[in-house]
Amino acid sequence: MTARLVRPRRRPLLALAAATAALLFSLAPAAHAQSALAPEPTITVRGDVPTPLVLTAADLAAMPRATVTTTNNGMTTTYRGVWVADVLAKAGFALGPAARRNSLSGYVLARATDGYQVLFSIGELDPAITDGQALLADTANDQPLFAENGRFRLVLPKDKRGARSMRMLASLDVVLLIK
Amino acid sequence: MRIRPRLLIPVALLVAAATLGTALRAPEPDFAWRIPAPFPRPPVPADNPMSVAKVELGRHLFHDERMSVNGRQSCASCHQQALAFTDGLGQAVGATGMRHPRGSMSLTNVAYAPALAWADPTLHALEAQALVPMLGTDPIELGLDGREAEFLRTVRGDATYRRLFARAFADDAEPYSLRNVVRAIAAFERTLLSFRSPYDRYRYGGEPGAISESAKRGAAFFFSGQQGGCFQCHGRWNLSGGVRVEGDTSAEGTFANTGLYNLAGARSYPAPNTGVHAVTGRAEDMGRFRAPTLRNITVTAPYMHDGSVATLDAVLDHYAAGGRTIATGPHAGVGRLNPHKAPNVDGFALSVEQRRDLLAFLATLTDTAFLRDTSFSDPWRRP
Repeated sequence: MTARLVRPRRRPLLALAAATAALLFSLAPAAHAQSALAPEPTITVRGDVPTPLVLTAADLAAMPRATVTTTNNGMTTTYRGVWVADVLAKAGFALGPAARRNSLSGYVLARATDGYQVLFSIGELDPAITDGQALLADTANDQPLFAENGRFRLVLPKDKRGARSMRMLASLDVVLLIK
Repeated sequence: MRIRPRLLIPVALLVAAATLGTALRAPEPDFAWRIPAPFPRPPVPADNPMSVAKVELGRHLFHDERMSVNGRQSCASCHQQALAFTDGLGQAVGATGMRHPRGSMSLTNVAYAPALAWADPTLHALEAQALVPMLGTDPIELGLDGREAEFLRTVRGDATYRRLFARAFADDAEPYSLRNVVRAIAAFERTLLSFRSPYDRYRYGGEPGAISESAKRGAAFFFSGQQGGCFQCHGRWNLSGGVRVEGDTSAEGTFANTGLYNLAGARSYPAPNTGVHAVTGRAEDMGRFRAPTLRNITVTAPYMHDGSVATLDAVLDHYAAGGRTIATGPHAGVGRLNPHKAPNVDGFALSVEQRRDLLAFLATLTDTAFLRDTSFSDPWRRP
């Protein structure tokens, strides 16, 4: 059901290398995904959106950027990325004054590569309704995310606990209960 | 651990002073922390600022075997540097041979710990904690109760100490006091900082190759909310519960019943180790023990508050099962069913490969520089 909006940013040689890597990866034991031959990490935005997306870090870098600084146990981290509301808008699912009718009966299911899932109502993600926004982060302290964070993660700076600031983010599934 | 009532007043004063002090930033005239970015500084009580001289005095006291009733034990006897300041025993043994019901806790990054004992949420200050092994009578550890004056005379009569006390407490008319002894020991303990493990170099030091691919997969499993979930109690940069840092001492200790026991009857954990319950008397605190830092965990076996789990492999069995089952004997029971078990200790699937990866990750937390750092070692030992 996903119509990929793939941006042809990579050079042909790099694309060939990436395709070869993807093929090799598919032949490798499936238990562990992280290796030098792993395919480029992406975020998939799909479901009830006009334009499903598969976004790379380069795609996110070209979008309106936002910054969140957190302090956790005395360690300060500056995350940069794109507000989830702007990601949804890029998929044709506008929030705010342009929000579609019945959008508030919808939700977004965020999934991580490890199987962790967090559900957000559309209203929670709408900056016209609440300031408890979710950042889809791809850098921390100006370095690409890695390790337990995965390449992408969510950061909810207003949350009291980190349970919804999921690491290893892989996809956002939009579901409208009334279409 | 029991300290006689006459000692409670000075202990209380020390605790109060230290608690108050953490709200203020203490001057540190000549002391430089060896803390790499991005790690924060620990809190320092305003009435016990760090100084090079005080740390050096504290190191001498920490390793001084004269600070015990038998003249053969020091703080370092139960907190050995090579074992990340533990002793390799399930339960520590005091200077009179009395066995402690619990094991020696690692002092790795103890400066950040919001609570200092296995099961006492009220013990926050290192200065106050140091009095417990010195003067405690149940159990007896160093056994100095009633011998304080004798010990201070020994200190005063030692040429090395005369030099060290004069430098560390230059403004004190009478520097040879128990208060200054524990202030110096606490200052030394605050320098026991471990930030140089392979995992630190990988995660914070810009060295992608510092740990193996297996260890990286193990870290992902450890920090996964869906898989291991281990980070929930052993998380953040210190692989522990919440920490206290300079400017923010609001964190409290993290204590959890992990389903290690489930005895029949009202007390599901074997006495006297009933956890926080032993302090509060509340049923819901039964079996709650502190989640320690996992830094240097490979050298601190045996594991758990009573040393009843011999290996890290067996620790993984315990958590993967969501609690330990003891089939026979006086401690028989299904820990997974302990009514006061923490809800997040609910078990997880662990394949052979994931177990190997997790153990590989835990091994990357061993900071060999910390274990060998000569600034922590025994200054009395002649080469």
